[in-house]
Amino acid sequence: MADSLSTVAAIRRAFREAPVLGDKLWLPVVFNMGGTVVQLLIPVLVQLSIDRYLEGPGRVDMAAILTIAGIGLLAVVVGGLLTRAGLVRLVKQATTGLSDLRVSVFDHLLRRSVLHVQTEGRGSLVSRVTSDMWTLQEFMEWGGVMFLVNGTQVSATLVVMFAYDWRLALLVLLGASVYAASLLWFQRILRRRYDKVRATVASSLTVMGEAISGLPSVRAYAAEAVTQRRVDEALEARFRAEFKAGHFGNVLFATSEIFAAALTAGVVVGGLLLGVGGGVTAGVLLAFLFLVNLLISPVQMMVEILDFAQSAASGLRRIIEALDAPVEIAEPLQPVALPGGNLSIEFEGVSYRYPTGPEVLSHVNAAIDSGRRVAVVGETGSGKTTFSKLLVRLLDPIEGTVRIGGVDLRDVALVDLRRRVTFVPQEGFLVTGTVAENVRYGMPNATDRDLRTAFIELGLDGWLDGLVSGLATSVGERGSSMSAGERQLIALVRAWIAAPDLLVLDEATSAVDPALDVALRHAMERLTAGRTTVTIAHRLATAESADEVLVFDEGRLVERGTHQDLLANNGHYQRLYADWAAGTATR
Amino acid sequence: MVLSQGLRIVGRFIRARPWSFASAVTGAALFAGSIIASSAVIGWITDTAILPVLQDGEPTHGRLTGVVAAIAAVAAWKAAAIVMRRTSAGWLQLRTRQDLRSQLIGTQMDLELAWFDRQSIGNLLSVADTDAEQGTSVLAPLPYATGVSLLVVGTVVLLALLDPWLGLVALVGMTLVVAIEVRSATVLYPFWERIQVQHGVVSGLAHEMFDGALTLKALGREPMATQRMKTESDELRERLVYVGVRWETYRTIIVSLIPAISLITLAVGAARVDAGAISAGDVVTALYLLSLLTFPIQLIAFVLFDLAVAIPAWNRVAAVMTADEVVKHGAVVADESGTPAPVESSTVGFSYEEGVQVLDGLDIDIPAGRTVAIVGRTGSGKTTLALLLARLWDPKSGSIRIDGRDLRDFARFELPKEVAFVAQEAFLFDDTVRGNISLGLDVGESEIDAATALAGASEFVTDLPRGLDTPIGERGASLSGGQRQRLALARALVRKPRLLILDDATSAVDPSVERAILERLREASMPSTVVIVAYRPSSIRLADEVVFVSAGRVVDQGTHAELMARQPTYADLVQAYERDAALRSRDDG
Repeated sequence: MADSLSTVAAIRRAFREAPVLGDKLWLPVVFNMGGTVVQLLIPVLVQLSIDRYLEGPGRVDMAAILTIAGIGLLAVVVGGLLTRAGLVRLVKQATTGLSDLRVSVFDHLLRRSVLHVQTEGRGSLVSRVTSDMWTLQEFMEWGGVMFLVNGTQVSATLVVMFAYDWRLALLVLLGASVYAASLLWFQRILRRRYDKVRATVASSLTVMGEAISGLPSVRAYAAEAVTQRRVDEALEARFRAEFKAGHFGNVLFATSEIFAAALTAGVVVGGLLLGVGGGVTAGVLLAFLFLVNLLISPVQMMVEILDFAQSAASGLRRIIEALDAPVEIAEPLQPVALPGGNLSIEFEGVSYRYPTGPEVLSHVNAAIDSGRRVAVVGETGSGKTTFSKLLVRLLDPIEGTVRIGGVDLRDVALVDLRRRVTFVPQEGFLVTGTVAENVRYGMPNATDRDLRTAFIELGLDGWLDGLVSGLATSVGERGSSMSAGERQLIALVRAWIAAPDLLVLDEATSAVDPALDVALRHAMERLTAGRTTVTIAHRLATAESADEVLVFDEGRLVERGTHQDLLANNGHYQRLYADWAAGTATR
Repeated sequence: MVLSQGLRIVGRFIRARPWSFASAVTGAALFAGSIIASSAVIGWITDTAILPVLQDGEPTHGRLTGVVAAIAAVAAWKAAAIVMRRTSAGWLQLRTRQDLRSQLIGTQMDLELAWFDRQSIGNLLSVADTDAEQGTSVLAPLPYATGVSLLVVGTVVLLALLDPWLGLVALVGMTLVVAIEVRSATVLYPFWERIQVQHGVVSGLAHEMFDGALTLKALGREPMATQRMKTESDELRERLVYVGVRWETYRTIIVSLIPAISLITLAVGAARVDAGAISAGDVVTALYLLSLLTFPIQLIAFVLFDLAVAIPAWNRVAAVMTADEVVKHGAVVADESGTPAPVESSTVGFSYEEGVQVLDGLDIDIPAGRTVAIVGRTGSGKTTLALLLARLWDPKSGSIRIDGRDLRDFARFELPKEVAFVAQEAFLFDDTVRGNISLGLDVGESEIDAATALAGASEFVTDLPRGLDTPIGERGASLSGGQRQRLALARALVRKPRLLILDDATSAVDPSVERAILERLREASMPSTVVIVAYRPSSIRLADEVVFVSAGRVVDQGTHAELMARQPTYADLVQAYERDAALRSRDDG
């Protein structure tokens, strides 16, 4: 993948995504010419002085020297102001563009399927919007600016050289071209090294992240030594990759000195051989030595930037690849509106398999009328969780069609779908913030009164009042100061205030203690009355109260019916229920 | 002040690796020497070849070899100096960075979980990543800057030797350049800190949102997350632009100063040539040397800036490195006799935050070899008690003893040989199944097989493509919740603990599977005291005894039947399901 996208294509793509990045890039270039002219002043003045005004003791034209020096100083001031204007513009433009790009990439990554977000290393997702971006930022601020300054200087220097003497200029140009060609060759090797560096950086971040966030487990099992060893190994691999790439860059940089020497020697020898007869004056030859230097320094700098540019380009390519990776759960081109009110459900020949695994759902056919409350049961691995993810379109089926309200899910605009259908996943995830902020994820414009009402309706006002500051209580970083049960409880309130026309609960009450669970479930029953509800349940009490029960086994829908009918059936459900009843009996 | 602080930090790094620094500085000094030599060579070429041949018409013959040899020699010198300087400096910087990160992780492993509780994970990650990087970024260009400083001094000396007046111009000019460079770094560094803080915010936000992706998607709240990212990213942009604009201003001034000094040198030099004090070649030498300085001299500002940047970054690194809430250990060595251990506690008090008492005078007494269920409502302190029993936290008051020994008296790494803790949410590492079970413990194939069998994990592990050697991805992403819990259980069982603590560790496992696991645990010839924090009546029934906890105290302890008989609140809690089911069937009838 990494090689399929050229750097140029990646840059072009970045300009398209964040147009401000490429907006009037010629402007800073033009402004920079001011600074370049200042740099070129010195060789030109040396030539003038040596050839005309500085012929020896007593033969110096001081008036002329002072005049050119005065004009030169004025040029330095004007050139400096122009340069600053150009650089400031460039910095603002780059920083703004990269910020826009970061938001785009973040948004895109978040839109990808939940499967991708969960399987892709979290560290690597985060580094797309952090460290990769920071490499680019540093590059634009330092490397990009230098590249611009130096690039204009190289071109302008060549122009002045040709004005002085085309033969010597040609010699310099030839040398510079050979050198540039060899750089392009080195560039390919550098690029590979930096891709490897990036990979070791990402894996060292993952391992360090585990050592930090998994610390309680590490502590509980005295696994400090093995964890530290994993960290140290990852860091060592990272060191090796970084050092090797760095050393290679250093050798590359040093070769530019040899290049500089060759050009300088070539110019002196060429100039002396051409001689005065060939039109080369001492002043012109000396000016050339200065000019070669004005050419060499930027080329050296550009070589240095090149190795920086490689790591920035690697980062950019990864960012663009992330940006261009198709969103698995695609928006329909021509969305179909869902009918109003409660939504019916229909699975027609639906199969699903995770990319690397066996089929987890096989040819499921099921129709659920609107307003029904359905429980889905089955053993671990029966496919009931996958069923729920397909139902809310967190995944798309490999085969078959899922419809709600008679509309193929793939034809429903996602914003419409999420507004009408609410899914409460197994693990109640909270964001850092207050209880109120977390519940508001269900309905962003809910007032505190609305939130309170929701707690009262669910019979949870007692719990809410028990918190230190009620709705304004902080849940800690990602809900860390709430118990697992409390996190789920907030997740349920959050789902409730979203007021969906189809509610899907995945084992949402599994970690709430029984008394709280029962209170919650009674409230849910009151409030889900007349609303299409699908509950994926461990606890068959939920199934008992459901209008209908769907029983899954090994990826197939094996039974369906009411609790009473299924019990009488002596099938899978009967066995599951017997199991569960034995588990909950207290005597 | 800023600079001396920065230099102290750098000094510490250098003392740790003096040889690579010495080698880098030697390279830098050789580099400075080569630049001065190259301008001397140009002056020499001017006076002995260019002027005689091109102005005085002398023959070219015999002069070319010397010219080429001199230029080539200086170039070889310079190239070697560059590689020596940069590669040594790179080694110094990268090794220091590696050490720092390794030490950061090592330090954190020694700290109390109470300390962690007050930190943000995102911030700790950014300390280990970005701050360790910024704190050492100065090390690579530092030797170069040292070389450039030598070069600046060398320039002034060389020009002063040519002519005192030229020396004076150089002295004044260079002092001005360096003063402006120092100022730019000191003025801008506080604003750099604000940038760093905001980097941490953006990184933390990204972590949090990717972690909660499932919930965000389920609620269709991706746009809200994107909006939050936009707000924080915009703030970061503002801060970056503020510093960037000022930085470019300073840099432009520095870059313009060199041509300005050159022009003055030209005027002064011309006057001195006129007076017969120096040759035209000397003026060329001076101007050539100044032109060679244009690029390197900017490096001084870069390094000063890096030095300033390193300070806040280093301060954050140091805050972690010097945290002193180290878990204290005694000298007790684990009893590995394999017998079950009794556990008791006296008047244990605990609070996560001041004034909110979670455990309050809690006494438990669990005889060796018993299976005990801790039962209580949400928020009663069950999980906290489990954490204290494994010594993941220490009680604020009172004590907990296993087999008569206070948990705090155990030597480091010893307690986990006797006590195994399985949490509600299993944390799995990006490793193989085997690696996750052994976690560094030296255990054989048969022991792992036995533990996975006991944990009810054999079947799915066998079905994995490479069995025990299958990598399970970051945080076990390729496994289901129940599978993750069973692996965590196997991890505990393989250690044959004298005390096994299960904190709702089977919640994502189906009831029948859970029961099978717990029964196997009771039947197995694994002599262990088992403490289960339980919600399911089935788990409770499997226990010999129940400890009923409410508001941070033990209300009662006894068999399930006893508690059912004498504790109405206990009966209420445990019977909630049954009564619920009964009510429903009466409604139906």
